[in-house]
Amino acid sequence: MTKIGLEIHCQLTNLQSKLFCSCKANYREFSPNTNICPICVGLPGSLPMLNQKAVEKATMISMALNCKTPEKIAFFRKNYFYPDLPKNFQITQFDAYGPTSIGHDGKITIEGKEIRIRRIQIEEDPGRLIYEGTSEKTQIPLVDYNRAGTPLVEIVTEPDFDNPKQVRVFLNILVDLLENLGVSDPTLEGALRADGNVSVEGGNKIEIKNVASFHDLEKAIHFEITRQQSLVERNIPIISETRQWDDRRKITISARKKEEEQDYRYFLEGDIPWVKLNSDHFKKLREKMPESIASKRERYVEKYGITNQVADVLSSDKYYADLFEQSHDEKNAKEIANIITTDLMGFVDTREKRETSKLTHQHLTELVNSIMDNKITRNSAKTALQEMVSTGKSLIEIISEQDLDNVSDESTISSIINEVLNEEANAVQEVKEKPETVNFLVGKVMKKSKGKADPSMTLNILKKKLGIT
Amino acid sequence: MSGHQSWFDLNLGISALKYIGEIKNGNLTAEEFISKTIERIQKVDSKLHAYLSINEQAVEQAKSIDKKIKAKENVGACMGMPISIKDNICVKGTKTTCASKMLEDFIAPYDATVVSKLKAEDTIIIGKTNLDEFAMGFTTEFSAYGPSKNPWNTEYVPGGSSGGSAAAVSALECIASLGSDTGGSVRNPASFCSVVGLKPTYGLISRYGLISYSNSIEQIGPITRTVEDTAFLLNIIAGMDPHDNTTIDNQNENYLNDIDSGVEGKKIGIIKEMTHEGVDKQVSAATNKAISNFEGLGATFEEISLDMVAYSVAAYYIITATEAGSNLARYDNLRYGYDFDSEGYEFNSYLSKARKNFGPEVTRRMILGGFVPSAGHAGKYFLKAMKVKSKLTAQVNEALKKVDMLIAPTVPILPFRFGEKIDDPVALFLVDINTVTANLTEKPAISIQFEISGGLPIGIQLLGKSMQDKMLLQAAYALQNTVKLPEVPI
Amino acid sequence: MVSKEEIEHVAKLMRIEIDDHVVHIDRIQKMIAYFDILDKANVESEELIVREQTIDALREDKYIPYDGKLIENLKNYKGSYVRAPKLV
Repeated sequence: MTKIGLEIHCQLTNLQSKLFCSCKANYREFSPNTNICPICVGLPGSLPMLNQKAVEKATMISMALNCKTPEKIAFFRKNYFYPDLPKNFQITQFDAYGPTSIGHDGKITIEGKEIRIRRIQIEEDPGRLIYEGTSEKTQIPLVDYNRAGTPLVEIVTEPDFDNPKQVRVFLNILVDLLENLGVSDPTLEGALRADGNVSVEGGNKIEIKNVASFHDLEKAIHFEITRQQSLVERNIPIISETRQWDDRRKITISARKKEEEQDYRYFLEGDIPWVKLNSDHFKKLREKMPESIASKRERYVEKYGITNQVADVLSSDKYYADLFEQSHDEKNAKEIANIITTDLMGFVDTREKRETSKLTHQHLTELVNSIMDNKITRNSAKTALQEMVSTGKSLIEIISEQDLDNVSDESTISSIINEVLNEEANAVQEVKEKPETVNFLVGKVMKKSKGKADPSMTLNILKKKLGIT
Repeated sequence: MSGHQSWFDLNLGISALKYIGEIKNGNLTAEEFISKTIERIQKVDSKLHAYLSINEQAVEQAKSIDKKIKAKENVGACMGMPISIKDNICVKGTKTTCASKMLEDFIAPYDATVVSKLKAEDTIIIGKTNLDEFAMGFTTEFSAYGPSKNPWNTEYVPGGSSGGSAAAVSALECIASLGSDTGGSVRNPASFCSVVGLKPTYGLISRYGLISYSNSIEQIGPITRTVEDTAFLLNIIAGMDPHDNTTIDNQNENYLNDIDSGVEGKKIGIIKEMTHEGVDKQVSAATNKAISNFEGLGATFEEISLDMVAYSVAAYYIITATEAGSNLARYDNLRYGYDFDSEGYEFNSYLSKARKNFGPEVTRRMILGGFVPSAGHAGKYFLKAMKVKSKLTAQVNEALKKVDMLIAPTVPILPFRFGEKIDDPVALFLVDINTVTANLTEKPAISIQFEISGGLPIGIQLLGKSMQDKMLLQAAYALQNTVKLPEVPI
Repeated sequence: MVSKEEIEHVAKLMRIEIDDHVVHIDRIQKMIAYFDILDKANVESEELIVREQTIDALREDKYIPYDGKLIENLKNYKGSYVRAPKLV
């Protein structure tokens, strides 16, 4: 049986400062080595000062993944030498003296399958290496410590996945969950990273590292399963090792054998006393915690009669869900949900578009209420929505500028219909034989009215004039 | 020249409190005192090698403090007094070498919290003092820049690792000094050089800017000529620090108030394991005399046994090696260190070459530090050492329920000659047997100069309850006033 | 007794060359042998005593830019990067 496990690293991008110092948590805007201080470059004599919010956010992740949370958490040093690691040890969590990481023994269910969470730990991100020089042999690593000390939460699953598809579904759900919790912005480059481990029937566990994206991880896991299965078929033993994903060749390559695995000499970080987490802490956080995606979805369906499909899309995307929550009321909820998941989605489907969008929840409320009051047609609404996103103008402004107000005056519609009936003699004949094709004529009327004619009124008058039901 | 005291009878041996009094009275100027101190350093430090570097701006700084005093502007409590700082504590813009070739070119870009606090009180940092490389040792013989000498007899070690600090204070090359104490590194040289040395309760003084050797047990501590001066300095440097998560709130305790309240009615425990076996005869006699002096002041005594003391030195070396192996891993010479280009080297071989600049003792402890906490050996060594630490703490806590404080000689033996112990690591371990307990149990402990025996100093150690550093100072003050010691011969 | 090879291996892991420091081996062996005394301490069942703090004691999450260009105080490459020896 194939077994797959994951290690996911999630940067707590929504924090202001790094895990142990006051440098900025979001290092992306800085030129090299300008977001650094004696603490994050590990200068002699500096000491780590643990970020309170980081512990809170990590606790939330732990609770959201149904983990057990200990009464006290401890920090450990993981010792190894690498140029991106300024102290040549990483401050992380470890369970040497019982469970002292922020979470353990959790689970989430995906498509009916339970995935167990082994451990959740808080740790610091290393710096970044870039390379100068062209050929691999002459490459000189240059270190930028701006990222060093960025708060990370590592989520380690049990090897409970049977196939790469489950991995993909899990990661999608996890990304939505982390975003919904308000702990991390998954659209930021490098904010979420994952390593995996794979074993097949009759073989040992292989770790896969150095994977740039979730998409690559899926490919790497695919590759590993195939590679390992073919080894087993040929009776070649699979020896435990760590392999790297080579994105260029789309294969994994051996990085180091198990016996070369480092001894990290984990021991307690004396500079950070154990942190007591009392019941008040958990209670306070539970109150602060945003509603879960599952609970939102259920509420949308049950309270507003929104379809399952729409509720799924709406609840799992924090941007849409927040817009919905702010703009809807009892009456317009369903219509707002529909507008978001049909028309709006096309306009704000990327991070950049969302950032530049000028749309507010007031816009959305106004727009949907106008549709419901027949002041504007669904068609015109889409045009107005696009205008709101790009300019932020109010609905009234847009209607008057673009002449989008609904035509619901019977005589006006009637005269447009007469024109259409004259022009479309063939179609009229067809409709009389097959009344279900009447929508073709409705479309022509809408087009002639530049989308402003009230569609239901148009249909009624047409039916009357053509004598169909 | 101000006041009626002439330049020539200016006494460099005055205490910090006396110095402040003389400055306030106008009998003395900071400039006079600093100039005279520099003169003294120039005269004696070629023999003692207490200093690794001297503050070239000291006289200028003194002048500007004098100017403020004259203009009746606000002046900090230290009024320009010269204080030296062990060279493993960061002073902004100065070389901070840890007496290592590894940090030959390291210039600290920031002040340690204790240094900021001293500067805020108008202290003049007169220079940086010698130590065993990265504070690992008890003689200063492991300084990469050569050992310091004992001012009482320059053929003898001054103790360590804060040997430069203790020698400088003892030889009147400064009024006071800050050292660091990981297993006795303040108390041991204080004892060997006949001065006062305090290892405060863990967390009482911020370690921010102290270059870590074994961070879970070490503290910065003052070295002074009088107990009152230690209390005075503690008032300035103790307390919570937003840069050190391990500091404790001391409620702004004033350690000088009631320092003369005595020991009447106090119960003191004599630590059995530190006062009998292996203790030098003269040291033993001095300890007994201290006990009887205390009894004369109304204290009572009982013997206390702490059987974990037998394992304390082994536990101490295992814990310190483990932490040192990790704390000193950052010295890879990539970001700071010394001049050695990495061009043409592969990463691991460069590090191994660069780190050859560590001296022999540091190298050995690095290797021990790679060994004792490793996956295959942690159970036998590191975990057991941590458990000895816990059990020893429990035993000391239990003892301190019965008595107010504990007493033992600071070091079981007299100061020794250079080269005498350096070749037998296990014999050298036993020099630490009386001091490591306070570090492993986080308790405050103080060494007070008590006797000069055959020209060599002997210090007495008191160990107290956590956060009761003040009670220790009161007892030490009482003991100090029972003896009159000769002046330093140098 | 811990073997010479094992000590040399650990030295390599700790990234310190000791090829011209044969004297170290003997001393390290003596020190490690001394640590065997702990086998007699009978502390296996002892609970660890640890230092604790409350979550309120932790640092507030606030961005405070470092005052000064730290990179200028470090060994730097073209003024902005730290250069490392090659990894292969």
